[in-house]
Amino acid sequence: MEGSPIDIVIFAALAPMLGVLLFWFIQLLFIESQKFLLQKIRAKHKPLIRFTNYLGILFQTICHALGYTVTKSGISEFYISVNYGRVAPKKLKKGVFEWISNAFLFIGPFFIPAFLILICIFFLVPNSFQIVVPENILNLKYTFGGQIIIFGTSLYNFTSKFFEFLVNIDLLHPGHLGFFIFMIFLGLGIRPTYIGEKKQDKIDMIYDLRNIWSLIRYKPVYLIILFSIAYIIFYISLYLNQNWYVMIFIVFGWVSVISITSLFISHLMIIIIKVTDEIPKYWKTIPYFILFFSYILSRLFFYYFPNVYSKTISLLVMIISTIFVLYILLIYKSDKFKTKREMKLLKKKTQGDADEQQ
Amino acid sequence: MSNNEVLKNEKLEKELSPHPLSFMSLQSLCIYLIIWGTLVGWLVNFSEWQGLFVSSWITILAWTFGLLIFGVIASLILVRWRIFFFYLGVFAGGLGLMYAFNWFDSANLFIPFYTVLTSILGFLIVEAYRRSHKYLISNQRIIFKGGIITKQERTLRYDKISDINAKQGVIGQIFGFGTIIPISQSGFGLGSDKTFAAGGVQLGEKKAKIMGLFGGGKEVQTPMARTYFELHGVYPYKEVKKLVEEMIQTSVITPYQQEQVAFQKEQVDIQKQMRDLLKMQNDSKVENEEVKDD
Repeated sequence: MEGSPIDIVIFAALAPMLGVLLFWFIQLLFIESQKFLLQKIRAKHKPLIRFTNYLGILFQTICHALGYTVTKSGISEFYISVNYGRVAPKKLKKGVFEWISNAFLFIGPFFIPAFLILICIFFLVPNSFQIVVPENILNLKYTFGGQIIIFGTSLYNFTSKFFEFLVNIDLLHPGHLGFFIFMIFLGLGIRPTYIGEKKQDKIDMIYDLRNIWSLIRYKPVYLIILFSIAYIIFYISLYLNQNWYVMIFIVFGWVSVISITSLFISHLMIIIIKVTDEIPKYWKTIPYFILFFSYILSRLFFYYFPNVYSKTISLLVMIISTIFVLYILLIYKSDKFKTKREMKLLKKKTQGDADEQQ
Repeated sequence: MSNNEVLKNEKLEKELSPHPLSFMSLQSLCIYLIIWGTLVGWLVNFSEWQGLFVSSWITILAWTFGLLIFGVIASLILVRWRIFFFYLGVFAGGLGLMYAFNWFDSANLFIPFYTVLTSILGFLIVEAYRRSHKYLISNQRIIFKGGIITKQERTLRYDKISDINAKQGVIGQIFGFGTIIPISQSGFGLGSDKTFAAGGVQLGEKKAKIMGLFGGGKEVQTPMARTYFELHGVYPYKEVKKLVEEMIQTSVITPYQQEQVAFQKEQVDIQKQMRDLLKMQNDSKVENEEVKDD
């Protein structure tokens, strides 16, 4: 085994932690962007906003209840509505138990919904859960660099298989379609994206980070215990020459990748809704029809003229035709892409028409 | 509300009908048919397991199994056997059509189409049923109307309402509709949930048997009414609820008002007694003066 002793004993264990932290931060940024978009469409799509609120609150309430169950505090009250969720423990336990249940409440919603998708992926994408150790770092695998390479490679391996599945997804397959819908739902509620009627409380990324920071600041002992446990697991892995330690963090990494992907897909859905809002009357329904029929027609075409990439091409046809139709509608049915000169001409024309009528 | 229906001094406050998604319990039965029909169609025609469905009877068996098992489970959970009978009807209809036109050979094609078409028909019936409902809230009463073939109607004066029950499901919370059940003093609007459990034991070997049966039931009173006798799935829920509550408040005499009336009545009685006493006093005075004069 190569590598400096300080690297192995002190820094190596930090590598996967930092990796997870980085992905989690990207996830937080995506959530913020989604909340911004939801806020933009709130006025015209109140039921959708209530639905996303409900999903977010549902996941958070479940995580909170899970925290109380794990700490054996019991649940005396479980209330959930579109605007508000509440879980009360039977016994209010203090100390480490309180800390764990709070950790479930604040961190759980980021990972638990995506963990459900991970279970689905286990059945839909075989051989995607592999821990890959590149041959050229076999002697350096317990160093900071080695750990981060294993973490990154395993994540890359999973991500490439997962994306391969997504670009080849068969939306006419009930299982695939169900998975896709499930992903959008989880993307919409991956954490409480509460978009209120009035902006009273600023519940954003900073609010979450502040909560987690206070969790760390007021109970530093528990964080030290957590770090100690992590280091102990790392040393045991090192002693037995098994990659258990990095495996735990790789799972968190996979979950983060899933969250980011589902957030990205739900972003696309919200963007379509937002753009169609610019189009007047019944014209706004056309992009949705195109989205549906372009895929069906494309699949029908490839049913009679089979091709290895039929599913991917169908997805591409669906996306491109929808964007194209949206663009055309925005040009001809809205003022979105009109230049100043065109607007002036239009104004003149409408004024001229009005004068003629008078 | 037609002119014939309007009473003297009556003013219509709101005319309502249920929200399109308020009959989700019925619509979900049709949604299941669509899902199951599509799934069977995919399973027998396009999936990797299509080789299993070599005989039409296997397709029919699989379709029936999914249909009736779901019917039994849904009926047991919701304690409504009509769900099972609905699916039994769908099954019998499909089988009858295949028998009548000898379509057994093309069951793989017929069953998915038939199931999806039945669900569309179901959706249309539910929609017609929803549209038959009409609720009129005036300043004097609430009129409930509904029914496709038999027209049902209920009129409820605000002073006859003893209680109101309001409920909003998850879909109702998302789309802003809910159900309001006004319970009359006669108990109209109240139903009961019944649960019953029974068990049996059999002891002994071949000849000597001891049989025992035991059971128990429970009945809980709960606000419950037919959809045309309640304000079912009305939108906007909060606004309608507030309006009904305000109407009841203005029409029904409150305990404080009752106290005031009793107090005023007492005052009037005292004043009457005083007037009588004064009159008696005056009369006796006049009599005394007359006697003195004599």
